[in-house]
Amino acid sequence: MLILCQYPTLLLLPKKGNFPPYTVNCMSRFRISLNKALISFLLVFIFSASNQVFAADGEALFKANCANCHKPDADYTGPALKGWSKRVPNPEWIYKWVANPAQMIASDAYAKALFEKWKPTVMTAFGNLKKDEVDAILKYVDDYTPPVAAQAGANGASSGESDNSLLFGILTLVMAVVAFILLQVNSNLRKLTDEKEGIYRTEPIPFYRNKTYIMTMILILFAVGGYYTISGAIGLGRMKNYQPVQPIYYSHKVHAGTNQISCLYCHGSAQDSKHAGIPSVNVCMNCHMAIKEYKGDPIVREDGTNVNGTEEIQKLYKYAGWNPDTKSYNPDNNGDGTPDGAQPISWVKIHNLPDHVYFNHSQHVKVGKQQCQTCHGNIQEMPEVYQFSTLSMGWCINCHRESKVDFYNKESGEGNKFYSIYEKFHKDLKDHKVDSITVEKIGGTECQKCHY
Amino acid sequence: MKKIATLSVVVLTMSLAFVSCDSKREPGKIYMPDMTYSRAYETYAEIDSSLFTGDQSMRGSSKIYYDNKPVTGTIKRGELFPYTLPNDSNGYKMSAMVKNPLDSISAADLKEAGRLFNINCAICHGEKGAGNGPISTSGKIGGIANLTLDNYIKMADGTMFHSITYGKNNMGSYASQLDRNQRWMMVKYIRTLQPKPASATDSTKTK
Ligand code: HEC
Ligand code: HEC
Ligand code: HEC
Ligand code: HEC
Ligand code: HEC
Ligand code: HEC
Ligand code: HEC
Repeated sequence: MLILCQYPTLLLLPKKGNFPPYTVNCMSRFRISLNKALISFLLVFIFSASNQVFAADGEALFKANCANCHKPDADYTGPALKGWSKRVPNPEWIYKWVANPAQMIASDAYAKALFEKWKPTVMTAFGNLKKDEVDAILKYVDDYTPPVAAQAGANGASSGESDNSLLFGILTLVMAVVAFILLQVNSNLRKLTDEKEGIYRTEPIPFYRNKTYIMTMILILFAVGGYYTISGAIGLGRMKNYQPVQPIYYSHKVHAGTNQISCLYCHGSAQDSKHAGIPSVNVCMNCHMAIKEYKGDPIVREDGTNVNGTEEIQKLYKYAGWNPDTKSYNPDNNGDGTPDGAQPISWVKIHNLPDHVYFNHSQHVKVGKQQCQTCHGNIQEMPEVYQFSTLSMGWCINCHRESKVDFYNKESGEGNKFYSIYEKFHKDLKDHKVDSITVEKIGGTECQKCHY
Repeated sequence: MKKIATLSVVVLTMSLAFVSCDSKREPGKIYMPDMTYSRAYETYAEIDSSLFTGDQSMRGSSKIYYDNKPVTGTIKRGELFPYTLPNDSNGYKMSAMVKNPLDSISAADLKEAGRLFNINCAICHGEKGAGNGPISTSGKIGGIANLTLDNYIKMADGTMFHSITYGKNNMGSYASQLDRNQRWMMVKYIRTLQPKPASATDSTKTK
């Protein structure tokens, strides 16, 4: 009987990468009962997998559109979205609200009350979101569970992803064992019945010399090994999750999170240059002339030890050549233009694109209006920075396919004037041939834009 | 059969080689190190100078950084002339005489000034300049000026500029974060935050 050989399929189920799911056809003589079991297993998997895709979509949409103001489970600039269905007047309300909040505030009692509570912020209108997209977002919100302990506990390099593949792996193994036992039982039973009926066969070959078994084992090994080899080779040069030890335990969580310092206070050149820049010591001293000790919540390292914030600030003073007792910089006796003993801090560079790629922050932050968090993750919650994205080419391209540029609107005069000269797109927009202009349309996926 | 078996063993060992020993504290494996770690000058890249000189004794000790500064006295195109008053009490007094080179400010520029104020100053002075930013209300830094008070309304534009350029007491210098033009824009913006009493008619030419 010809059936799908499930094992490789399961192992190769794509998690996030761009592998097409591919199936391996093979001949095998599985019994029907086994078949059923496998198929129902597979159905469960397909179901959960497709569910995941759906949720991921909602997640992406949520992050791209709503995350600036909403958190699923906590109030932020806007209310926590979880449990919306119990609050809003009727299910249809939500679509109208997302499409045009300002109008709803003017006409709808519930919306008005909501606005009174959250004044003066009015939610942005998202007229371009389709109904199913809103559904996806809301589904994501409803299914949202907070990540456990910020995955810092995971000791391996890759956290969430590998957890899942491990699960798949174990399930596959269990299924393989079950299948094996069933097959053995089956052949034994058959032998018994055969004996009863008086049919005698030649002594069966032990399973470890049975070609079918060996072949299956090798195929499995091949698929597993091949999968890891390929993903390992693709991962060469990728440094996702890289989190080096820095010379000063400087916590973004304390600064950008608890104390709400804007990213651009320190990384201001992200607005007008290629590099976001690492702040020089004098920028730190703007505040640390006055802040001598750390009195905030304890900062705990992953191994459970506490960080002595005050000591870390003392390190900063050393680098700055600052004397906290006299509240002044050391004199410059050696005449090098800096206080004696001062030296730059050698932070370890985390993000690093290869030489053959051109990436520019101002193009994305100022012109493209992208949030730092889209690419760097929730930095304001990281005690130590790690690389959040893969920085792979596929990652850049995917975003360029999905992101819209700030296209010039000829009627209202809003948007990036640079795009006023893109006559063809203006015409297409007018004729409703397209409803938005993505980065890809203006050539953001052409090789020479990034490689030259 | 044999072939397949050997092949799968090879594949497995290869995968082990790729997958094993990944620590997030290490940068990970790369191929083509010359491409990943640029040999050309790049911002923030450190290059071992022995790569160029071949002087093995210098290996690891002497690094080349790309931290070139422009020649002293260079003025960027369109940039205002340097501010020459010294950072001392005398300079502070004299600064009152310096005029704001921006007579009027366009609505777009004012919006930009507001954005920069919120990034750089609101953390201490508060979005409305009333001295109640997050760092101030949490008590981490004391003595933060409430810029809407009378003495700051009377304060000359030049003095404000002087303080933003050089810093004053617990406030640091913003000369490295804001260029001269932006610092003058800041002063203009602070004026829009201040209430306008009938008495203070000078230096409120914002509209
Ligand atoms: C600019 C910030 C902002 C963005 C972006 C934003 N919202 Fe809101 N949202 C708000 C605010 C503020 C309120 C409270 C009502 C008000 O003041 O307008 C709100 C209210 C809501 C409510 C009503 C919640 C309740 O308790 O009844 C829903 C639902 C909602 N938003 C969904 C979304 C979705 C979906 C997106 C993304 C497509 C989104 N919002 C993006 C700011 C935002
Ligand atoms: C008080 C100053 C300060 C603020 C505010 C700040 N950063 Fe940083 N940032 C630093 C310093 C110093 C480093 C280098 C040390 C490190 O990597 O931890 C750094 C490193 C980084 C890096 C890693 C750079 C690399 O080596 O590749 C990223 C990404 C980053 N910051 C993003 C952000 C974002 C996003 C925000 C806003 C949420 C932010 N920073 C706010 C000072 C700051
Ligand atoms: C479109 C994605 C994207 C966005 C948005 C983005 N970054 Fe980056 N960032 C990168 C990439 C890619 C690199 C690596 C650049 C390189 O190696 O040349 C990087 C590098 C950095 C670095 C390391 C130093 C440097 O400049 O190379 C810092 C710091 C940083 N980003 C901070 C920020 C901050 C702060 C923001 C928001 C204002 C931001 N980034 C927005 C993708 C992004
Ligand atoms: C806008 C003000 C501001 C700037 C700029 C600033 N800090 Fe801080 N820093 C703070 C505050 C506020 C705290 C928390 C003090 C407390 O809670 O008692 C802090 C705490 C710290 C601590 C102790 C906690 C920890 O993270 O380990 C260190 C170390 C530190 N800062 C280093 C730096 C360095 C390095 C820079 C420059 C990149 C810098 N700071 C720039 C305001 C600032
Ligand atoms: C979060 C989404 C996002 C990611 C990730 C991203 N980009 Fe972009 N990129 C944009 C947007 C949006 C624009 C359009 C800006 C505009 O309006 O011109 C853009 C524009 C560009 C442009 C200019 C294109 C043109 O036609 O002028 C280049 C070059 C570029 N990106 C390179 C990169 C590289 C290299 C990476 C990966 C390291 C990357 N981008 C990752 C969103 C992204
Ligand atoms: C949006 C920017 C962008 C565009 C457009 C782009 N690339 Fe890339 N490319 C990258 C980035 C980023 C990397 C680095 C990937 C890494 O380090 O893993 C890269 C790496 C590569 C590599 C080296 C392989 C590797 O993984 O290191 C090749 C070859 C390449 N690109 C070819 C192309 C070709 C051909 C095109 C046009 C069809 C193209 N790229 C378009 C961003 C881009
Ligand atoms: C680290 C917190 C902090 C930040 C950030 C900060 N200031 Fe201040 N500022 C102060 C303190 C403290 C004083 C009071 C100085 C004094 O007179 O002792 C002050 C005073 C002032 C004064 C009055 C100066 C004088 O001569 O009396 C002006 C004007 C001013 N700040 C403007 C700004 C502007 C503009 C920014 C943003 C670029 C800014 N400040 C950012 C803390 C800060």
